[in-house]
Amino acid sequence: MDLLEYQAKEWFRETGIPVLPSQRIDKIGDLKGLKIPYPVVIKSQVRKGGRGRAGGVRIVTNTIDAIAAAQTIFHLPILGEVPEVLLAEAKYNADREFYLAVVLDSATRRPVLLGSPQGGVDVESSEELLQQVVVEQEFSPFYARKLSVKMGLKGALIGSVSDVVEKMYQLFWQKDLDLVEINPLGVSATGELMALDGKVTVNSRAIARHADISLMAQKMANRANSQNYFDILGNADLVDRSGNIGILGNGAGLVMATLDLVTDGGGKVKTCLNIGHGSNLDPNKPSFSDRLEQGLELLVRDKNIQVVLVNILGSVLKGVKVAESISKFGEDRMPKTRNAAYPRLIVRFAGSELDSAQTQLASLAIPLIENLDEAVLQTIRQAKSSPAKKL
Amino acid sequence: MNLQPDSKILFQGITAELSATHGVQMKVYGTKVVAGVNPGLGGQTFDDIPVFDLVEQALAEVGAIDTTLIFVPAYQALDAALEAISAGIRQIIIVSSGMPPLDMVHLLRKAEATETIIVGPNSPGIIIPGKLLLGTHRSEFYIPGAVGIVSRSSTLTYEIALELTKAGLGQSMAVSIGGDAIAGSSFLQWLQMFDADDATKVIVLVGELGGNSEEAAAHYITETIKKPVIAYIAGRQAPAGRHWGHTGTLAAVVGRGVNVGTAQSKLAALKSAKIPIAEKPSQIPDLVKKALKKT
Repeated sequence: MDLLEYQAKEWFRETGIPVLPSQRIDKIGDLKGLKIPYPVVIKSQVRKGGRGRAGGVRIVTNTIDAIAAAQTIFHLPILGEVPEVLLAEAKYNADREFYLAVVLDSATRRPVLLGSPQGGVDVESSEELLQQVVVEQEFSPFYARKLSVKMGLKGALIGSVSDVVEKMYQLFWQKDLDLVEINPLGVSATGELMALDGKVTVNSRAIARHADISLMAQKMANRANSQNYFDILGNADLVDRSGNIGILGNGAGLVMATLDLVTDGGGKVKTCLNIGHGSNLDPNKPSFSDRLEQGLELLVRDKNIQVVLVNILGSVLKGVKVAESISKFGEDRMPKTRNAAYPRLIVRFAGSELDSAQTQLASLAIPLIENLDEAVLQTIRQAKSSPAKKL
Repeated sequence: MNLQPDSKILFQGITAELSATHGVQMKVYGTKVVAGVNPGLGGQTFDDIPVFDLVEQALAEVGAIDTTLIFVPAYQALDAALEAISAGIRQIIIVSSGMPPLDMVHLLRKAEATETIIVGPNSPGIIIPGKLLLGTHRSEFYIPGAVGIVSRSSTLTYEIALELTKAGLGQSMAVSIGGDAIAGSSFLQWLQMFDADDATKVIVLVGELGGNSEEAAAHYITETIKKPVIAYIAGRQAPAGRHWGHTGTLAAVVGRGVNVGTAQSKLAALKSAKIPIAEKPSQIPDLVKKALKKT
């Protein structure tokens, strides 16, 4: 989950990372009560990058200009994203700009500190200047000092930059982040530091164990009332808007392999769902049958999906139970007469109870196929023969 | 890693339901699940498995444990693993899925310092067909033989085992290391293990997009592994940013080039290491047969 700049800066302020005085602007009227002296920078609060170049950041010197700028920015989409709020911030004259980040690296399986003496928008073009320090053991400030020295800093800046990095690491660890980045970190002529822009990504799995972040996530996604497993976890993953095949599997690897097979065979997949493994270790998670049913519901509700391939392999639920869940769903939800508007189900399942599962599904005319390649072939054939539906 | 059929196994997070499914499956396979741990359920017995409140209480009763299997909810997995390490257990399989990655960083620092092997999280564990079941593999898909399977995905391990079994090619051992961004045991460790294992003649490496494990494995195979390796990579057609719960597909890799992690980068690395690549799971048996002929 990516935070907006103003949210990241609130955390910076709480942690003791220097930030400029700023105010959140929810509506144009908020600019009238601005407590920050002009000149002020009005910044679009979007998660997409490149907002400066797109015109989403403007410097204004009085209220009239501020209102005009805010009106424009409120309506300016940046890579398709329109801001809900703006940030009004004091203007800062930086002498130099640094880049700092803490990121979780899967190769070293450790957090890595990153720093460059050349920050700002050009940080990517000066990648050879980007220094890194792997935090092998429990964090201690020497890791941050190592980074500062590698960045080529001298004198008092070693201590002050290390101090910012140490606080970034604290934030990273306490809030379960994947990334915390300050770019640029402004450095004034007198050596004063200021976090001018910030990016924070919270690890999505850890959100539920932080009450404050859960609240933010709920507001952000506006999913407070959702009870569906897929809505909550965001597992409902779109592959291609123009596709007409849905895939439901009980593992990420299996789902990806099935997607590859269908696509290679000329099929067009719209959505893939992973309903997860069989056993429930977390009592808050719905049972396997419930997840199966919710997943099917989600796919058949999609008017563009004409064929749903259910690929279940090695679940703890016995084949008969899987078939029972699917046929119960079929009985409740499938139209009694053949209806072209309703997607076809094709079930792939392997295991010792294949025969009894087959009998179970036969009455609903749902094919159960043990061989994966064969199930994929039938899915593609069905999807191609189905008449195109109106959107 | 000690994977003897008579090794003693602990079941952390045991419940009546989990015991009835996975506990019984393992016992039927001959695996010695000697105790379970679940705070508050101490004193009970599920399917002849005595349950204790603490790991140390279990050890006091049944003696040293070779491997513990962790089945607790994700947020409790770090604590359960630390409890096992503290009690002297040096082989840990984490079945739980959804562990926050920084919990794994914490755990790996401790594990490395104590030379503890961590398999997982989000792993179905290890199966040695006909001998030992440590985890949740559906044993009916496996038969004993000479093919070693190492995978990031549990369901794909089953898929490939099933293909091999149908073709009459048995397996020496199969393990899924889990699809998380931060995993305990690595491809390299398992490749090394299979290379040294007398029962294994061919190794099947099952990768997917994200991270740099496959690129690192390709390099390692060229440098070190003597036995033939066959690879399969899932997710070639997956759009960027999708993971379906395998957060490893999005894993950040610092300073190893911009393309690391894409399916293309993995396939290119495997190709340049001259490792035969299966386009789909059903091609694996033929590639295995070819490799066996050469040995």
